[in-house]
Amino acid sequence: MSAPKTIPKDAQVMIQILKDMGITEYEPRVINQMLEFTYRYVTTIIEDAKIYATHAKKSNVDADDIKLAIQCRMDQSFTSPPPRDFLMEVARQKNQTPLPLIKPYSGPRLPPDRYCLTAPNYRLKSIQKKVSSSASRISVPRLSVGAVSSRPTTPTLGTPSVQSVTSKVSAPVSLSGQRFTVQIPPPSQTTTTKTATPPTPAVSNVLINPSLISSKNILITTNMVSQSSGGESLKRKHEEDDDYDTL
Amino acid sequence: MAAVQGGQVDAVEEKDIKTEPSGDGFGNNNANEGRMVSTSPGASAPAGSNKTAAGAPEDQQTLLAVLQFLKKNNLTESVEILRREAGLPENSLDPNGADSTGAGAGGTTGCVDLEGGDASSLLSRVTVSSSAGAQAPTKAVAEDQPDVNVVLSAYSQQGDPALYEVYYSSLKKFIESVLDCHRAELSQVFYPLFVHMYLELVYNNHESEAKSFFEKFSGDQECYYEDDLRVLSSLTKKEHMRGNETLLDFRTSKFVLRISRDSYQLLKRHLQERQNNQIWNIIQEHLYIDIFDGMPRSKSQIDAMSGSLAGEAKREANKAKVYYGLLKEPEIELPLDDEDEEAENEEGKPKKKKPKKDSMGSKSKKQDPNAPSQSRIPLPELKDSDKLDKIMYMKESTKKIRLGPDTLPSICFYSFLNAYQGLTAVDFTDDSSLIAGGFADSTVRVWSVTPKKLRKVKSAADLNLIDKESDDVLERIMDEKTASESKILYGHSGPVYGISFSPDRNYLLSSSEDGTVRLWSLQTYTCLVGYKGHNYPVWDTQFSPHGYYFVSGGHDRVARLWATDHYQPLRIFSGHLADVTCTRFHPNSNYVATGSSDRTIRLWDVLNGNCVRIFTGHKGPIHALAFSPNGKFLASGATDGRVLLWDIGHGLMVGELKGHTDTIYSLRFSRDGEILASGSMDNTARLWDATKAFDDLETDDFTAATGHVHLQDNSQELLLGTYMTKSTPVIHLHFTRRNLLLAAGSYNA
Repeated sequence: MSAPKTIPKDAQVMIQILKDMGITEYEPRVINQMLEFTYRYVTTIIEDAKIYATHAKKSNVDADDIKLAIQCRMDQSFTSPPPRDFLMEVARQKNQTPLPLIKPYSGPRLPPDRYCLTAPNYRLKSIQKKVSSSASRISVPRLSVGAVSSRPTTPTLGTPSVQSVTSKVSAPVSLSGQRFTVQIPPPSQTTTTKTATPPTPAVSNVLINPSLISSKNILITTNMVSQSSGGESLKRKHEEDDDYDTL
Repeated sequence: MAAVQGGQVDAVEEKDIKTEPSGDGFGNNNANEGRMVSTSPGASAPAGSNKTAAGAPEDQQTLLAVLQFLKKNNLTESVEILRREAGLPENSLDPNGADSTGAGAGGTTGCVDLEGGDASSLLSRVTVSSSAGAQAPTKAVAEDQPDVNVVLSAYSQQGDPALYEVYYSSLKKFIESVLDCHRAELSQVFYPLFVHMYLELVYNNHESEAKSFFEKFSGDQECYYEDDLRVLSSLTKKEHMRGNETLLDFRTSKFVLRISRDSYQLLKRHLQERQNNQIWNIIQEHLYIDIFDGMPRSKSQIDAMSGSLAGEAKREANKAKVYYGLLKEPEIELPLDDEDEEAENEEGKPKKKKPKKDSMGSKSKKQDPNAPSQSRIPLPELKDSDKLDKIMYMKESTKKIRLGPDTLPSICFYSFLNAYQGLTAVDFTDDSSLIAGGFADSTVRVWSVTPKKLRKVKSAADLNLIDKESDDVLERIMDEKTASESKILYGHSGPVYGISFSPDRNYLLSSSEDGTVRLWSLQTYTCLVGYKGHNYPVWDTQFSPHGYYFVSGGHDRVARLWATDHYQPLRIFSGHLADVTCTRFHPNSNYVATGSSDRTIRLWDVLNGNCVRIFTGHKGPIHALAFSPNGKFLASGATDGRVLLWDIGHGLMVGELKGHTDTIYSLRFSRDGEILASGSMDNTARLWDATKAFDDLETDDFTAATGHVHLQDNSQELLLGTYMTKSTPVIHLHFTRRNLLLAAGSYNA
C-alpha cells in the first residue's frame, strides 16, 4: 500500500489556516474535522442556493442566492447569543424583583412537578381478560401448556413453532395437567400471513396455569399469531393496540 | 468630549473653548449629549448654546436629529408639525443643513428609534452612535434589525481612509516625543485607537486600506493583546463583524483608560491644535478617560492593571460597599453525648445539662461591620441533618493541622485513568467523601472516596415495608443490592463542563454544552430537574455554601443565579463582554464572583444583581477563582499563568504570583487561609504563602483613591513548593477538613 507522500491541497490549506491563527499544537484529526466541516458547510450552502435560484426561476445560481443561503443558515445553525443591551434590559427587570422567601421545612426543594424530570415516563398496563365478540383481537393471559418440549418462559421472537397440536377442544375439559390442545378459530381478517405459518392457525406458546382452570367452562382465548407482525409472532400478544387505553 | 471626571465644573470651563470646531465645549453634563452633537460640527455651537448646564435630556438631541433628517428629505410639513409639538425654537436647525452625513444619519437612527418605539436602552444607544454616517438605506434595514445596524452604524466616515495611517503615525510620533513620565500613560491610547480605527475602515468597506493599516501598526501593540489582534486580522469584511457579540460589545462599550491629569492635558492640547481631529473624535466616542490627580503611573503599574477587553475599571465602579465579612455561624451546642439532639439550640443559651458549648463563629456578639446581616438574603434554615453535619464539621476542625511555611500539607492526587482527555470537570464534597467527574462524553460519574459504597434508596414498595421508627432508618432506606463503588449519571447531551456538590451532599449539579444545568439526586442517582435558560454552553456552575442557591455562567456572557425550587433564574448578572468562564460564591453567599474571557473579574451582589467590583489585570481568559476563607480576598488564575490576588473591600490588586507556565485551572485556599494552592496545565501544583502575601498591605487612602498598585515582586519568596505530576494537568484542588490537600486530574499518556 502506498501512502501518499504529499498531503492533499485542501489539507495544506487547513494547516496554513491553523498556522495563521496562531495554533501550533493540535491533534492530526483536527485537519480532518476541519475538512469535513468545510465540505459539509459548503455543500449545504450551495444546495440551498440552488433551491433559491430555482424558486426565483433563474437558470444559474448567482451571488445573491449564495448570500441568502448563508444568511438563512446563519440564523438557523450558527446563532449568536443575544446582544448586550437586550441582556441588560432583561437583567434589569429580573433583578428588580426581590429574592423570594424560603418556606421552612418543605422537604426537597424542587420546582413544581411539571418542570421536573421526576414524573414516570412509562405507564403500567393492567392485564385483563377481555371477551370480544369478534373472534379476532383477543387478549389472553399467559397459559402454560404442560409437557411441551421446548417451553421458554418468555416469549421468543422467531417463527411460530407449532408446539401444541391443534385439535378441537370441547367445552368441559378435564385437566390432569396433561397436554391438551387448543384450537383457535381463525379470525376473519387474517389476510396477510407474513410468515410461513401453516394455514391452520398456529398457536403461540400458551402457558396454562392449571390452578386457573376449573373443570367447568374454560374460556381460553388467544391472539392470533398471524395478526401480530410477521416475524415477531411469539411476542407477547398482550401488547396489541387495544391494550393501550384510548386517550 | 471625553467624559471627564469633575462633571459640572469642567463642563462650564469647556464651554468657553467651544469656538473650535472640534465639537468640544458644551455645557452638558451628560457626556452622551456632548458626543451626539459633537460630530456634527456645524450644529455644535448653536445647539450647545441652547443646552444649558441644567442637563437637557437625550430626547432633546434625538428630536433635533429627527428634525434635521426630515428637513434633509424635504418633509417640510412634518418638520413644522414636529417643531410645533416638541416646542423647539426656530434657530436650532440653521447650521445643520451644512453637515449632512453626521447629523442626517444620526437623525436616521433617531427616527428609526422613535418609530420603533424602543426602550430607552436603544435610545441611549442611538445617542451614543452619534456619528452615524451610514447611508440612507440603513433605515430600512435598521427597522428589521435595529440593534445590529444601529450599532454597526456607530462607525462613520471620519475622513479619508488613506489618511488613517497618517493620523495614527503622527499621534505615535507625538507620544514618543513626550516626557518619559507621561509616555507610559499615553501609550495606553494606542491599542483602543488602533482597534477602533481598523474596525472603522473595515466597516466602511475599505478593505485594502484596513489591511495595510493593520500590517503597519499591529506590531507596535503590547504583547498581551496578541490574541485579540490575531482575531482582528481575520476580520476583513463588514459581514464578519455581524454576529460576533464580543466585538459588538467592544464597540458599544467604552474602553476605560486611567490617565493622570497632566498627561491628559498634554494629549488634549496636542490633538486639539490640529485641524484634522479624527483621532480626537474617536477618542471622544469610544474611550472613557478616567482622570485622576496625581503622579502619572509607571509602565509596570499600567501593565499590571491593563489587559482586559474593556480597559481598566473606572474608579467609581469599585466604590460600592461590599459586605465581605462572614455570616455569623449559628451556635450549636456540642452535646456531651452525641445522641442527645435536644440539647442544641440556636441562641447558644446554656442549658441545665451544661453541655460543652462550641461556637464556631465570632466570640463577640457584636455584628461585624463588614458582614452582611443574616437576613440580607433569604437563606434556608438548618435542618436537623444540617446541624449534625455542622457538629461533624466542628469535630473535624479540631483535628485540623495548622499549615504554614514550615508545615506544608501532604498532597493526595486522584488520577483519572483512561479518560482520553475527556475529563472536563471535577468536584469533591466538603467532607471529601465523594468525588464526581464530568466528562466530554456527556456522562457524570460519582465515586466514593471512602470504603463506604454508594447506594440508592429503595423503591417505594420496599420503603413501605421497613420499620420507620428504628434507629438506623437512614441505613434501612438504602438498597443494599445497588451498592457499588461508582455510579454513572446519564442525561446530558453534550460535554459536562461544570460540576458541584451541594453542601448537604444530597444533590449534584452539572452544567453542560447543551445549555442546561441538571440537578441530580445523590440518593436515587437520577436526574431531578433540568434548568434551561442559557441556550449556549454553560461553562461553570456552583452551589452556594449554604445550599439552595446556585450560580451558572456560560457562553451567552451572563451569569444566572437560580434556586433549586424555581425553574427560572432569580438573578441575571449581565455586563461581561465575553463568555463567563468561572463562577464562584463568596463564603457568605451574598456575592458572586465571575471570571470571563474578556479578562475581567466582576463581583456581583446577589441581593440586587449589581456589579460591585470590576478587577482587571489578567491577560487571558480567567479559569480559576477562589475566595479566602475569611471572605476578604479573592485569588484568580488565568491562561497567562499568573495568579492575582485582590482585596475585595478596597477593590485593589494586592499581589501577583508568577511561576506557572500554563493555564491555571484550579485554585484553593487552605481551611484557615494560610496557604494558597494552585494547579495548572503545566502538570504542577504549587503552594503559596497566603498569610505573607496578605500581610502588611498598603491600603492607605491614596492608594485606595487612585487605585495605584505597588506590587512587590516577591513571587519567589511566596512560593512554598512546586509539585510535579507525571503528565497530568491538575484541574481540581480541595483541602479536606483536616487540611490535607486533594488534587485531581486526568492522566495524559
